[in-house]
Amino acid sequence: MSPSLLIRRTHMYLALFLFPWLLMYALSTAVMNHRALFVDAAGNGAPQFQPERELTYDGVFPEGAELRTISGQILASLDLDGAHGVNRRKDGAIVITRNDLLTPRRITFTPATRGLVIEKLSHRTNAVFERFHRRRGYATGYTLDTIWAVTVDVAIGGMMFWVLSGLWMWWEMKVTRPLGALAFAGGVGLFALFIATI
Amino acid sequence: MTFTHFNRRLHLYLGLALLPWLFMYGISSIPFAHNQYFERRDAAKRLPLWTLRSTHTVDAAIPDDPHQLRAFGASLLREAGITADTYGAYRQTPTQVNVYVYSFRNSTQLKYFADQKRLTVEDRRFRWDQFLTGMHGRGGFEQESLFVRSWSVIVDLVCLAIVLWIASGLYMWWGLPGSRRLGWLAIGAGVISFVIFTLGL
Repeated sequence: MSPSLLIRRTHMYLALFLFPWLLMYALSTAVMNHRALFVDAAGNGAPQFQPERELTYDGVFPEGAELRTISGQILASLDLDGAHGVNRRKDGAIVITRNDLLTPRRITFTPATRGLVIEKLSHRTNAVFERFHRRRGYATGYTLDTIWAVTVDVAIGGMMFWVLSGLWMWWEMKVTRPLGALAFAGGVGLFALFIATI
Repeated sequence: MTFTHFNRRLHLYLGLALLPWLFMYGISSIPFAHNQYFERRDAAKRLPLWTLRSTHTVDAAIPDDPHQLRAFGASLLREAGITADTYGAYRQTPTQVNVYVYSFRNSTQLKYFADQKRLTVEDRRFRWDQFLTGMHGRGGFEQESLFVRSWSVIVDLVCLAIVLWIASGLYMWWGLPGSRRLGWLAIGAGVISFVIFTLGL
């Protein structure tokens, strides 16, 4: 296989594999670019948590357990283990925010009563897109999140590769050089104008 | 010109015209994806991010209506003698409003403390990672300047272009019968992985 054909095929197969990521990033960017429309439609406030269920937690935590240990144990018992944040409120309650892409949840554990309140974030389509767009994974400590972060890096590498291989493929087609140079120069000029002025 | 030919040219010329944006979105995703690394690197320099430029005495009532915040932010900018095309005003607490003024290269923040009748102006130190993430995150149609908003039109165009690259790319792939088997494998692997992430994350 010649280098040219290898570049063309890599350009294509990489795109066929990564198109769901690119489609998601394109749609979510459009949604964020027009956030005001969604805010107008849904009202000004942030999405609210809605009660889902309440129960009494009868598990026992290890002596001197840290917050992450407690949150991990509670989430595992609810079959909700995954990327989350946790903090302790001034009244002693432990609040876990489970960063689910589709249905984020807030779980509040009150040690005094052993009460567990599970709430889910009300659905907003634009918020789902934004969560997808902003999701990072390396710091969560969960394998699936780490793999997701690797795929995001692959998508970033893919974008850079499409740019460079696209230039290569264009240059190989002599007949497209004049019009291509015009399109390329127009794009670079406009981009530079924006960077210099706004 | 046949549709196949038109499709190939659209894929190519759209790519060449929007190449700076695609490159920018790619490279600027790195500091987003590896935020902690860049933060650690900057923290090691032990330099303050914001430098106080000036302090003003201002007596103004913070409006209750969130829709009035932008106009309030503009009045704070006038008090500080700052001309800005691009800014946003945000209520931090019932007695504090912050106004962020930004261009691709510079950022300034105004903090107004109503209970102290004090307005401070601070400039942000230039950081390459924030320069890139600033470009990446820029968008929306809230600014008054038509030229500033035209950047957001290009952002929409890039989104549309990505959809068109996907559609035209799929069409070109289908025109290569020898690549179909491996292509189906790549599509299947991508779609299945994406669905697993969607349900599992």
